[in-house]
Amino acid sequence: METTATPSRSVRKVGGVGSARRQHSGAGPVSGRRRRDGARVVPWIYLAPAMIVLLALTVAPAVFIFYSAFRNDNILGGVGRFVGFDNFVQAVTDSSNQHSFLVTIGFVVVVVILEMVLGFALALPLAAQTPANRVGAALMLLPFAVTPAVAAMIFKQLLNPNYGWVGYYLGELGIAKGADLLGNPTTAWMMLVILDVWQWTPFITLILMAGLQAQPIEPREAALVDGATPWQMFRHITLPAMAPFIAIAAVLRTIQAFKTFDPFKILTGGGPGESTEIINLGIFRVGLQSFNIGLACAMGVLFLIVLSLFVPVMLRLIGRRADPEEM
Amino acid sequence: MSSPLTGTTGSKVRGVVGRAFLWLWLVIGLIPILFMLLTSIKPAGIANSIPPVWLFTPTVRNYASVLSGGSGHSEGFGQLLFNSAVVSLGATVLAIVLAVPAAYALSMRAFRARKRVSGWILSTYMFPPIVAVIPIFVFVGQLGLMDTYAALIVPYAAFNLPIVIWILRSSILQLPFEIQEAAMVDGASSWNVLRRIILPLLVPAIATAAVLTIVLSWNEFLFALSLTRSDAKTAPVGLQEFTGMYGTDWGNITAAATMIVAPILVLMVVLRRQMVAGLSFGAVK
Repeated sequence: METTATPSRSVRKVGGVGSARRQHSGAGPVSGRRRRDGARVVPWIYLAPAMIVLLALTVAPAVFIFYSAFRNDNILGGVGRFVGFDNFVQAVTDSSNQHSFLVTIGFVVVVVILEMVLGFALALPLAAQTPANRVGAALMLLPFAVTPAVAAMIFKQLLNPNYGWVGYYLGELGIAKGADLLGNPTTAWMMLVILDVWQWTPFITLILMAGLQAQPIEPREAALVDGATPWQMFRHITLPAMAPFIAIAAVLRTIQAFKTFDPFKILTGGGPGESTEIINLGIFRVGLQSFNIGLACAMGVLFLIVLSLFVPVMLRLIGRRADPEEM
Repeated sequence: MSSPLTGTTGSKVRGVVGRAFLWLWLVIGLIPILFMLLTSIKPAGIANSIPPVWLFTPTVRNYASVLSGGSGHSEGFGQLLFNSAVVSLGATVLAIVLAVPAAYALSMRAFRARKRVSGWILSTYMFPPIVAVIPIFVFVGQLGLMDTYAALIVPYAAFNLPIVIWILRSSILQLPFEIQEAAMVDGASSWNVLRRIILPLLVPAIATAAVLTIVLSWNEFLFALSLTRSDAKTAPVGLQEFTGMYGTDWGNITAAATMIVAPILVLMVVLRRQMVAGLSFGAVK
């Protein structure tokens, strides 16, 4: 790959129209003006269908929400009018919206940290390639493979105060007999975090496990010969070598965690009260249940701005790894 | 045995603690799945009895009842599973058809905008579905497509495109460039290079991307909840309606849940490595 890349790299450095001849001689088969123009147009033709769909389903909605955020349209109530920044003012000052933004960030921070720490702790023993671990890795995947909406439903049954296994067996152990764990804000949050950790830690574990298995053994052997302690080896060899995997897992998981919807909708519905109403549920309620499109779009714009802060990080981490020559 | 992984006594103790934690996690993690499977085969009447019944004669009556539309459901659950299958497969075919040429274009060395376009496509992955669902709800309504398969197929394909294009593009970049070069020297057009040379070599990557898209579409909830009412309703949305005002039949719910989860569980376990590699955008091989 490295050697074949050389001609095109020289082309890119020269750039501009004058490079056409270089490109010609470098890439070999291109001949004549027609093919040269073709080389510039052809990729766009191949890209067009995918880009049209992506534009229609991401850019068009983004334009729509930026437009609607300044209006008071209501799906039921016909055409609204321009209202300036009213929706944004309400999105920022309304206490339940503020609460939504804060608990969303809190939830993401807590689950990402928990899942990264637990994921690493589980990946270390799982990375040794033994027959038992082959079974272990398959079992590890199971919670991750359960449809999130189904997982939330199952948790809801397990946590049912009258008939649930959790309440019954906790009661047998003498703790919290028959407690309605979803009826109290603190325990409801704990259950949501447990559900997320149960479902998503395996994703982190399996990424980090693959990373650990890809590490060469020589540096650790050398360190052992030099009398390094296990902690020193972990701190100075394993951890630095694992940094890219840790970073990618953390960034992907953070983005996914910000999109969490199903467990909240199904397990608590934002309750009790509005205590677990994260921004995804808030936007859903305001937009698709109260049909206040303007306010929902203003909240969406703010959410989009927060999330777009992660784009450069993601591009750098994933882009560079996938195509080291380019990014 | 003095490999760097199992050296001193201290690290042996740590190893035991680590393995104990791992297996404890795995066993506890199975409980919800075990609960689902067990409850789904319990005879009527004991599904939610307390204390939980552990010894019983297994029955498939819950499955039969759910599929035939029993206990207060107007439509059989089979129809919802069928809808889920149509939508997932439709989205997958559309995503692959769109992604293969796009990934090829983004692997072309002479295509100077490829870095920027790849970056843009990757960045759409962070676009939160909740922000897209309101405009798409409005668009779909105006197009008269509410509660149709198309209303789900196109968004699902679009939201999986970044991952699919990324998977295909990295596997094209891993192919030896000489193969393409040789064909081009022989005068093959880029279309022929794609169709006759790259496509056959890309089959494993396409399979991975396809399974990933099937799984993510099958599992999707927000769009299905917002854009369907009855005709195109998918299984995960239908499952939520089992908890009606006439009480809850746990046997039925868990039987339906098992039918949703089973195909995905099998696919994921069989293709574990490919799934994780795909979901991490090929960052993990």
